[in-house]
Amino acid sequence: MEELDGEPTVTLIPGVNSKKKQMCFDWGPGEMLVCETSFNKKEKSETVPGCPFIYIIRKDIDVYSQILRKLFNESHGIFVGLQRIEEELTGKSRKAQLPCFLSLQDAPCSCCMSFHFCRLVRVSKNYRSVIRACMEEMHQAAIAAKDPASGRQFSSQVSILSAMELIWNLCEILFIEVAPAGPLLLHLLDWVRLHVCEVDSLLADVLGSENPSKHESFWNLVTILVLQGRLDEARQMLSKEADVSPTSAGMCRILGDLMRTMPVLSPGNTQTLTELELKWQHWHEECERHLQDGTFASSPHLESLCKIMLGDEAALLEQKELLNNWYHFLVTRLLYSHPTVKPIDLHFYAQSSLDLFLGGESSPEPLDNILMAAFEFDIHQVIKECSIALSNWWFVAHLTDLLDHCKLLQSHNLYFGSNMREFLLLEYASGLFAHHRPSCLSSDCCSLWQLGVDYFDYCPELGRVSLELHIERIPLSTEQKALKVLRICEQRQMTEQVRSICKILAMKAVRNNRLGSALSWSIRAKDAAFATLVSDRFLRDYCERGCFSDLDLIDNLGPAMMLSDRLTFLGKYREFHRFYGEKRFFDAASLLLSLMTSQIAPRCFWVTLLTDALPLLEQKQVIFTTEQTYELMRCLEDLASGRPVRGEPGAQRLQEDIENTKLEMLRLALARNLARAIIKEGSLEGS
Amino acid sequence: MVSVINTVDTSHEDMIHDAQMDYYGTRLATCSSDRSVKIFDVRNGGQILIADLRGHEGPVWQVAWAHPMYGNILASCSYDRKVIIWKEENGTWEKTHEHTGHDSSVNSVCWAPHDYGLILACGSSDGAISLLTYTGEGQWEVKKINNAHTIGCNAVSWAPAVVPGSLIDQPSGQKPNYIKKFASGGCDNLIKLWKEEEDGQWKEEQKLEAHSDWVRDVAWAPSIGLPTSTIASCSQDGRVFIWTCDDISSNTWSPKLLHKFNDVVWHVSWSITANILAVSGGDNKFIFREGMHLCEWWRERQKERIPSRHEP
Repeated sequence: MEELDGEPTVTLIPGVNSKKKQMCFDWGPGEMLVCETSFNKKEKSETVPGCPFIYIIRKDIDVYSQILRKLFNESHGIFVGLQRIEEELTGKSRKAQLPCFLSLQDAPCSCCMSFHFCRLVRVSKNYRSVIRACMEEMHQAAIAAKDPASGRQFSSQVSILSAMELIWNLCEILFIEVAPAGPLLLHLLDWVRLHVCEVDSLLADVLGSENPSKHESFWNLVTILVLQGRLDEARQMLSKEADVSPTSAGMCRILGDLMRTMPVLSPGNTQTLTELELKWQHWHEECERHLQDGTFASSPHLESLCKIMLGDEAALLEQKELLNNWYHFLVTRLLYSHPTVKPIDLHFYAQSSLDLFLGGESSPEPLDNILMAAFEFDIHQVIKECSIALSNWWFVAHLTDLLDHCKLLQSHNLYFGSNMREFLLLEYASGLFAHHRPSCLSSDCCSLWQLGVDYFDYCPELGRVSLELHIERIPLSTEQKALKVLRICEQRQMTEQVRSICKILAMKAVRNNRLGSALSWSIRAKDAAFATLVSDRFLRDYCERGCFSDLDLIDNLGPAMMLSDRLTFLGKYREFHRFYGEKRFFDAASLLLSLMTSQIAPRCFWVTLLTDALPLLEQKQVIFTTEQTYELMRCLEDLASGRPVRGEPGAQRLQEDIENTKLEMLRLALARNLARAIIKEGSLEGS
Repeated sequence: MVSVINTVDTSHEDMIHDAQMDYYGTRLATCSSDRSVKIFDVRNGGQILIADLRGHEGPVWQVAWAHPMYGNILASCSYDRKVIIWKEENGTWEKTHEHTGHDSSVNSVCWAPHDYGLILACGSSDGAISLLTYTGEGQWEVKKINNAHTIGCNAVSWAPAVVPGSLIDQPSGQKPNYIKKFASGGCDNLIKLWKEEEDGQWKEEQKLEAHSDWVRDVAWAPSIGLPTSTIASCSQDGRVFIWTCDDISSNTWSPKLLHKFNDVVWHVSWSITANILAVSGGDNKFIFREGMHLCEWWRERQKERIPSRHEP
């Protein structure tokens, strides 16, 4: 087992007196139990009695959040869709024998490639929009919160979701869109703009005021617009300043022009990167010239803006507060000093930006490390750090799955690769399974475990067995739920689980005397042994009460009757009763006889069967033929003499049980019938 | 990061020795030195005391839930040399059987896989292991393995059921032929694997030697569909071993030292998909995640040293 390259997180269980007592840990199906104990087994206990608390702990607690539930549901849909795209694709590529998608190194067929990547990018954007929707809802909940504690909790969830979206977005740009130099910067700019939302509200504020350029935050606004590369808007603001302040109008116009003429790569632009670089260089020199000439010397604000546009580090760092974080600093710096930065060079700038921004005053936080790992294109590190930092598996599971579809988790590194994807999906799905509230009445809530099923389905190595282990643990609180679970197992041919679940339900039914239910469960389980047991119970009940329960079920057994001998007997015996009821005496008679002679009737039941023959024997018309009567007599004598037939136990007891009067009655009836049958048959033959 | 999702106040008056969730995670059984066994309903983060079972005359060391197909059944074992089987009948919990066949404290109880029927293995300080099999109508058949471990047996754990051959429907009424096995750990520093022979007798099949002191716990990992079998063991010597057998027919087990702790390790327990092993020790507690690299060790720190060894 590989060692972790960092100290693992220590989690203290609140309330446990870890100084004095030992702790005992055990597993529940989805959680861990912790309690204080003393392992030293002596009869006399310690003088200080133990703590009576048991703590139930779990890692993936986010499954309990109502709002996050939507996240799980919707992302499930995206996940399944993505798996299907892949299936469709590999199907197509095998048929068409295209070389693409085997690895990024192979020369891909460009149209397929770009189409596929478009779809993957779209999936990524879908995931992100789901996160954002969830964030928005959480934010509303935070505002509407009744008490400050839950309000705080919601707010902190919002920050976490925001961080997740930030990370995902960056991963999308770097790993999925794989933006090359040029577009890369544009994407990064969008990224930064998306995550600093105060700008728009500030803009609205300032513009909405009577005298925008005299607004206290005016220059802050202009600065941040420049920092974000929103030069058109910055220019508009400057023109407002120019309108009210004639002295600086000239300077504003010049700066505005510089802003207008900054070369940027725009989509659809046909210029090459080299052309852009050249133009940019010229522009940069022009700005530098103005600065040297002191064009903006009389306005510190404008001069500072010019310095920013020249990518002056010191000037940028002065705006730490507006920049708010090092990655904003990074992007702005790149915008104004290396707009054609190549992806592989990013991490140099990222590291130095982080160092400069923090300035040795503070150390990087987990989020910083994750982003840095992304800039270094170290996908595995990103995933590893996210797994540790986040309290749920949702994020890493889905992101890793998507990256795997982009063929980015190559298995050149033995331990990672598709195995990691599967590992994370299994963890996530297991967490979903632990979420099932038996007492929930609504059918669609609390069914997160059903989402888990699909995730297990798409884990080729351990998915099936994990599903088998988990699905048996779903409490079968209602019949509906049981049927749902069974359907899932049957669809996947998980016969062992079907058997086990049906058996649990069947035995529960037997204990509650619901024999019909028990029988139908054992039929569904194809459990012959149990079906025999239940059939025996039915027969016993019949002996005691003289009638059958659950006639409908027994009457409509159909081919299921063949499951066990005893069950077949039960079905046929009931048929016998039906024949008798419908006055189909001849059919009843032959059925009765075949039941006795075919050995499927249990010995102990023969008395009952023979007794059932009595009414047929007493009928006005002769029903049993001589042959049949001889058979019956033979059976009766077998029974009476207690001769064990084929090793059936309890023959001795039978002898005691059979009352002589019954025996005599039967002998008499059979003898009389024989006489009448002989006469009847003799007469027929005669005529 | 983990979170406490529920804190159950058991109101036990003395040290708690074991806490076990039932099959579905809806009920919690606890047992204590106060001689009682308690059962709580813990659904939806709640805690409702369902039963407070009295019957033992000494500290109760372990509880074990039977498979739900047999109903709600719980076994408990105690210093008072008894094993009691409790059953819920019509909503109330009652003692359904008491087994008094041991001469000393019974340290461990473990139910066999449900496929074998309702069978309970019990390990005792008198060195014997007894196997109780429910035969119907409230009757339990007892088989005893005397001198399974010299000085005493501390733990028993069943192997998961493996159906030999295919799973096609068996001929009616017949049970498939399972090979029943379980592992035990004892004061002779050994782990022993036991197998049921065709005549119904239990035979020692293997001795696993690696520990240098009393084996405190053994846990046979749940099956994840691979032909490998895995057993975890922990001991007074502070070591935790993972034993693997790649092919059950060859029966060669190889130990791998998971870790050596500075103090006695008392308890090992596998999660239901066998991907995490929880280890409870006197010094620190570790959870190991086997097999995958994204290891996370959750470490709960305790500073107490374990005093002298167990006295039978």
